[in-house]
Amino acid sequence: MSHVVAGGSPGNPLRDVRDRRLPRVPGPCALVVFGVTGDLARKKLIPAVYDLANRGLLPPGFSLLGFARRDWGDGEFADLARTAAQEHSRTGFRDDVWSRLADSIRFVPGSFDDDAAFDTLADTLVQMEESHGIQGNAAFYLSIPPPMFPVVLKQMQRTRMADNDERGGWRRVVVEKPFGHDLQSGVELNKLVDDVFTAQDVFRIDHYLGKETVQNLLALRFANTLFEPVWNGNFVDSVQITMAEDVGIGTRAGFYDTAGAARDVLQNHVLQLLALTAMEEPVSFDAESIRTEKTKVLGAIELPKKLADYAIRGQYDQGWLGGQRVVSYLDEENIPAGSTTETYAAVRLDVQTRRWAGVPFYLRTGKRLPRRVTEIAVVFKKAPHLPFAATDTEELGHNQLVIRVQPDEGVTLRFGSKVPGSAMEVRDVSMDFLYGEAFTESSPEAYERLLLDVLIGDATLFPRNEEVELSWKVIDPLEAFWAGTKPELYRAGEWGPRGADEMLARDGRVWRRP
Amino acid sequence: MTTILWDTNGTEIVKTLSAERRAAGALASGLALTLVVVADEEHAEEAQQAATAAASAHPCRLLVVVRRRVDADDRLDAEVQVGGRLGANEAVMMRMYGRLALHAESVVLPLLASDAPVVTWWHGTTPDKLAHDALGVLASRRVTDATALGADAAAALRRRAKDYAPGDTDLAWTRTTPWRALLASAFDDMFAEPTSAEVQAEAGNPSAALLAGWLTTRLKIRVRRTDTAGPGITAVEVRFAGKERLRIDRPDGYLATLSRTGISDRQLPLRRRDLGELLGDELRRLDADQPYADALSAVTGEKNLDDRPPMRTLVWWDPTGNSRSKAVKKTTPATTSKAPAKSAAKSAAKPPAKPPVSGAAVAKATRRKAAEASKAAAGVRARTAKKVAARRSTGTGE
Repeated sequence: MSHVVAGGSPGNPLRDVRDRRLPRVPGPCALVVFGVTGDLARKKLIPAVYDLANRGLLPPGFSLLGFARRDWGDGEFADLARTAAQEHSRTGFRDDVWSRLADSIRFVPGSFDDDAAFDTLADTLVQMEESHGIQGNAAFYLSIPPPMFPVVLKQMQRTRMADNDERGGWRRVVVEKPFGHDLQSGVELNKLVDDVFTAQDVFRIDHYLGKETVQNLLALRFANTLFEPVWNGNFVDSVQITMAEDVGIGTRAGFYDTAGAARDVLQNHVLQLLALTAMEEPVSFDAESIRTEKTKVLGAIELPKKLADYAIRGQYDQGWLGGQRVVSYLDEENIPAGSTTETYAAVRLDVQTRRWAGVPFYLRTGKRLPRRVTEIAVVFKKAPHLPFAATDTEELGHNQLVIRVQPDEGVTLRFGSKVPGSAMEVRDVSMDFLYGEAFTESSPEAYERLLLDVLIGDATLFPRNEEVELSWKVIDPLEAFWAGTKPELYRAGEWGPRGADEMLARDGRVWRRP
Repeated sequence: MTTILWDTNGTEIVKTLSAERRAAGALASGLALTLVVVADEEHAEEAQQAATAAASAHPCRLLVVVRRRVDADDRLDAEVQVGGRLGANEAVMMRMYGRLALHAESVVLPLLASDAPVVTWWHGTTPDKLAHDALGVLASRRVTDATALGADAAAALRRRAKDYAPGDTDLAWTRTTPWRALLASAFDDMFAEPTSAEVQAEAGNPSAALLAGWLTTRLKIRVRRTDTAGPGITAVEVRFAGKERLRIDRPDGYLATLSRTGISDRQLPLRRRDLGELLGDELRRLDADQPYADALSAVTGEKNLDDRPPMRTLVWWDPTGNSRSKAVKKTTPATTSKAPAKSAAKSAAKPPAKPPVSGAAVAKATRRKAAEASKAAAGVRARTAKKVAARRSTGTGE
């Protein structure tokens, strides 16, 4: 995927657009992580920072500041960070890289309502301006529970840490999902964040968009002549987007039970995948053009008239998965008895544009499904006429183009082929493109890519607030329809509730087995 | 899976390779490129190791050609390896004896992965003109290594500049990338006018020359070069109008210190990379490298490198003493000696950069070229022998 933003300042005489060897390296800056002792920070953020350093993609003046409610000094935090980097880094742990990075790691202890702690944080940033030459550039990563957002943002407003002009550099904020829990809360959150920071400095992370295959979807569609001509309702029968997880809810019981699959996954990851699949060609590959096209698609989504037939939700019961017995959702720790939260959601959406008129988009997501897989399957129409005897093509299905987002990132094309032998018999075969095989370097972790984009200031892969609000407009009616109903049970280890299969059967289709 | 073929031929290798691929179930696997490695026996092991390391990041077909003595009897030994230690890759190691070594492309051509780019890397002796080696002519990207050629970096770079065609690149240039990245990011927030610069390095380090060349072209200032004990490049300093100064020191080839006026010093790793990493880095991009051409041009004074045609035409060249003496004795070699006759024919077939004025002029030019080529051949041989000796004494040349 090409980028207009090459990193660095535009007037730099040593930067040359033809010089593709020089990596995109941000200017000197600090990354401030709130909630740095949490799971996400330890498993993803710190390792991503280390991997970036190891690849030489961090500027000399880069500093990492952790903020959390622990009675810690810099040393104790450095130990935690070191362990995190050692355990989860992608590029292999090297002591020399780490010791350089460790030099610029600071920890500020305190709770989010502690004014003194925030004053210390602001002071530390000012100090680092001198000691590390970060020149007032800082990105704030809010890796904290959503209810804490307003508190932290107010603190930043009070200490003027979020003010671009105050310190003369840039100040950016990174927000993780969930972006609210319905349209109203989403709008409020957007307003709050956009007030404290300016709208263009707010980066909403959807880590799916940092995945190589998702970006490749744009290359596949817009860099080739082969696919775009058939990428419309004349040739496409339907689109299936699946995001399946084999794990249960883990330790997220508290949050998950109030959210459910639709708010947790459908609202962000799956709708973003739909937007990228269905959007028109952007006029250029800059952030604004791509986000504009995505916004148009999200705005054109129409919910089915009969929600009872086309919005199915389920909850996993006990069962066997991967050779192990697993408990039902209701038996998971900290789940209230009789909870009606869904762990599976399947829905049919239509995109009301000329390109997609009459093409259903089937989305499904769930936990405790047989395997972890995310994919977009574009199912093509059958040939209008087959010059073969009916028995010859009995095993011929629809042509399909499947974009595998994870695992085994790549693309599969399925089409009919003659079975060797004297009889004419056509059967489906697949042609595979596997990233790990055909490419040149191992794909960076999504967080590496996205963190780097934040520090460089490239917002292409981050949904803007309008997209978030439009997504809630899709989810809210579903939630309203489901309110007060009980989700259908499905056994852990099977592909969702029976209702989901019936939903496709109603349209004369079947779910693809991913 | 490894199969060794003694005294074999190209067809046998093709057959073995496809049988091995089928056995490994790799028939449908995608190959991003073919990497042809040309090495002499002395460097074969090192070259293969580096290429294998590079290939682990770039799924490719690895063809290692080791040219043995040209005066031996013609013979081809090969080793075909698919999967296993090589991961998704496949490798064919070929030792070519006798005159066959001069026709290596006859074995290599059918082994190239279909419709994938070809990269040729010379490790060890590199032809003065890449057009002399058919294995270079068939490649879309040609990787040389001025550092490996011993002490005379200036001469090596001049040769590369004279011979340059878009798609050429040199590992001495690849070695500068971490320095350039560091300098460029330091410049992101320096707004003063640079006035002068200095590159300090081991005497005769071609990377230092290219780094200085790059700074010259980008900053339009004079860049001084100072010799130090090394290893490699040890420091770069840029001075700005108004007494501002930027300096990167790397005395041990491992850890760099970045000092800037007004900001406390910072240390960061700036490790010298091994051959495998350099080559892997080189395979990342397969298009012509204009900044390299600019830097090379600044170092050597050769102009308009980028305007040259990217495709080379093979110029027949025989390194054996035999044909040299013939070529020198016979002033009109086209009629009697087989080898120079080919040379004349090939240079005539080469598309001229400008349309020829007349047939006679072309013929004249061709004759002159042939004569020059044979003269050059004699000199080159002597130089090469000297170089080999120099390299032996300095070890790997790194």
